[in-house]
Amino acid sequence: MSNANEHIEKLMQELRRGTITIGALSQLDEPRYGYSLVTTLKEKGIQVEPGTLYPLLRRLEKQGLLKSQWDTNEARPRKYYLLSDTGKEVLSQLHDEWLNIVSSMNRLLNEGGKKDGED
Amino acid sequence: MEKIERYIYAVTKRLPESQRQDVADELHSLIQDMLEENTQGGAVTDEAVNQVLLQLGHPRTLAQEYRGGKKYLIGPELYDLYMFVLKIALISVVALFTAVFIFQVILNPVHILDYFIDYIVSFFTTSIPVVIGWTTFGFALVEYFSQGQLEKVDLNKGWHPSNLPAIPDSNKQIKRSESVVSIVFYVLIIVFLSFSSEYFGVWTFHEGELSGVVPFINEASYSSFLLLALIILAFGIVKECLKYIYERWTKSLLTYTTVLNLISIAFVLFVMTTMEIWNPNFMQELVQQGIVNEGSNGYETVRLIWEQFTFWIFVLLLIGLVWEIISGVIKTFQGKK
Repeated sequence: MSNANEHIEKLMQELRRGTITIGALSQLDEPRYGYSLVTTLKEKGIQVEPGTLYPLLRRLEKQGLLKSQWDTNEARPRKYYLLSDTGKEVLSQLHDEWLNIVSSMNRLLNEGGKKDGED
Repeated sequence: MEKIERYIYAVTKRLPESQRQDVADELHSLIQDMLEENTQGGAVTDEAVNQVLLQLGHPRTLAQEYRGGKKYLIGPELYDLYMFVLKIALISVVALFTAVFIFQVILNPVHILDYFIDYIVSFFTTSIPVVIGWTTFGFALVEYFSQGQLEKVDLNKGWHPSNLPAIPDSNKQIKRSESVVSIVFYVLIIVFLSFSSEYFGVWTFHEGELSGVVPFINEASYSSFLLLALIILAFGIVKECLKYIYERWTKSLLTYTTVLNLISIAFVLFVMTTMEIWNPNFMQELVQQGIVNEGSNGYETVRLIWEQFTFWIFVLLLIGLVWEIISGVIKTFQGKK
């Protein structure tokens, strides 16, 4: 049983890794700072650790999908991230790809369910 | 909060200089945000700070996330080449030290035990650590200065099923071990020629110890001889490396081999006709060393052998070079009909 849990944990980690990127990009059509993104994603059911998201945001910025700016006007300076033009393009394509994957997976899983009969 | 500073330092010291300040600033505001949420605006206790830092995880893990990708001393792109070079270098060094050992024993058999101990000890104290050290250092430098450019090398680029190597045909195939042995052999000859010119000749012994050497090579033109030898040997190493890479006779390997051998042949012919590389006083020196007596039958025989030897060695060298091309042609086109 614990063996199965181990597998599930590993596979879930792999599954999440890709979805977090799409999830983060989807929320950045307006400027946001890291921690507010963590909160929003959590509210919408996507659990992500700040220790994962912050480095991810920097990587996406380095790749040119995001741009960033420090806001030093408030009491606490924060770094805000926003989709770049490339980022927007990438997101819209990823969005379509994601829908494809979801519908394909649904079809697969549902068909599988039918063949296996009840249970 | 000193602990926060210590945490941030522990993360950023593991990052490249250029990112440190920015990451530190960002982590600062992140930790403040997290503290604020955890304490709901209340007083920030030591316990609350611990909670937040524990949530962020080990500084090393976080730094790893920031760096992205794995850090290598020698990455997967270079690893195969590194192992190949290391293997050759190690085999060469072991062979070289063995050769030196044998040489010392011949020169001075009484001290065989000392030489043997030196020989064994040197592997662990000098030769092997030095070879591994320098090879690794060289490759690590390349990895370091490539700054991630190597990761962009697409190992699949330009690959097409038509490049698949044929299943080894025992006639065409070149065993990798043969190439390695040849390279080691060439390296040994190069080292020997470069560092021990004075031993390249007929050795005379007096009471079991080496008393003199009658050199084969004309000392005045030794440097030209060395240059010629090094060029031909270096070509040899290049050819063996190519054979190692191709693993079988192909048209391109044949082309390279042919070109290199033709250049070598031109060199040999040039030296043979324009330079006096053999020791012109060879016979006189033999007489001086008391090996042969002038005018005896033995003298005439040795003189004949010497003259024939100096002539035929060129011829054999030329035949060898030509034969390599011919056998390459045969092996390349064999089985195509």
